Amino acid sequence: MANRRLLVKRLKAVRNIRKITRTMELIATSRFKKAMDRATEAAEYTRKISEIVGDLGRANLKFSHPLLERRAEEKRSVLLVLTANRGLCGGYNASVLRQALAHIRGLKEKGIEFQLEVSGKRGIKFLNYQKVPIQKQYTTFEDQPSFAAVDELGARYVDDFIAGRIDRVDVAYTQFVTSSKQFAVVESLLPIASLGGGAETKSEAGVDYEFLPSAQEILAEIVPAAFRAKLFKCFLDAAVSEQIARMVAMKGATENADEMAGSLKQQYNRARQAGITSELAEIIGGAAALG
Amino acid sequence: MAELSLVLVTPERTLFDKPVASIRVPLYDGSAGFYPGRAPLVGRLGIGELKLADAGGATESYFIDGGFVQVKGSVVSILTNAATPVSELSRKVAATKLREANAERAKTDEEYAAASRRLEKARKMLALAGKE
Repeated sequence: MANRRLLVKRLKAVRNIRKITRTMELIATSRFKKAMDRATEAAEYTRKISEIVGDLGRANLKFSHPLLERRAEEKRSVLLVLTANRGLCGGYNASVLRQALAHIRGLKEKGIEFQLEVSGKRGIKFLNYQKVPIQKQYTTFEDQPSFAAVDELGARYVDDFIAGRIDRVDVAYTQFVTSSKQFAVVESLLPIASLGGGAETKSEAGVDYEFLPSAQEILAEIVPAAFRAKLFKCFLDAAVSEQIARMVAMKGATENADEMAGSLKQQYNRARQAGITSELAEIIGGAAALG
Repeated sequence: MAELSLVLVTPERTLFDKPVASIRVPLYDGSAGFYPGRAPLVGRLGIGELKLADAGGATESYFIDGGFVQVKGSVVSILTNAATPVSELSRKVAATKLREANAERAKTDEEYAAASRRLEKARKMLALAGKE
């Protein structure tokens, strides 16, 4: 009898968990859609920027900008790690942190000083536990990072890089490829390796642009803009990937809970039937003894 | 008649993509107006008012904060960090920002550049908000 009551209790607990995970899955789905829309809208800006860069390329201009120059000796670097504020999203945080740790190890071997900046409570907790010193931490970036907030970081990196206080900037985040494919990467954002858009614009017929004030000055302005757009894209990618990871994890959890509830129900029914059978056997046994 | 359409994009979203009759943008050194049939151009934007008029003569204004403008064929693309409809600007907020910007004391050249940029932005915002 005690066994049966225990089973009922467990069944209730599993059903409650299922309710929670199912709700979280639905929330993640709706957040994912919103984050995805934002990422799509942001892609338009990046596309336009690279279009203008392509236009500049045709203006017979020498691409030289402090942000494009690779330093001969890289001594100081910044590593920005983008993780989630909350868990329950499968391997999302773990895979970013694994990449980040591997990168940190590499930097230490090469003797490059690094400043670590971490966004997301999960990453902060983990790296504190690993006793890696964190210079700056952010917990304000949720599923809808605002450009203004990201831009503050971007402006600081640009200033530091140009002033020579840092020699490179890397970002560890989860890159979004398609809605069924995302992976954690460490990407080097500064110096800018390529501005993109150079190859695709070749096929177009050349348009003779008038540049105001001059192609060179536009370049000087657009390179930082391209960098900031790229940094913002990292945040958006991370936000979209987080929601996908949570969606998938919670879907798995809900299915597991379903399965568990099924098997518990079966066990309970068997126990109940066994109880009835033994009671019947007792009655019949008793009646036979009397007769 | 040739056509003109305006695409206004910020890093966060595309605000605007529709045909217009004429556009006025703040360039880095003053205002510039575009009518249909403008020769191709790439320009740096300043801070100020973006004004557009549609075929019916109705006008709309946005406050924009730097960026770029590209004219290519019949499409004018404006890339800017932030664009706010002028009707949403508030005089009070702009005045506070101006006071804050004025109170800043810059010590280095970089700080000075940043501070004067904020000051310019606050002034222009206040001037625009005052119109309403």
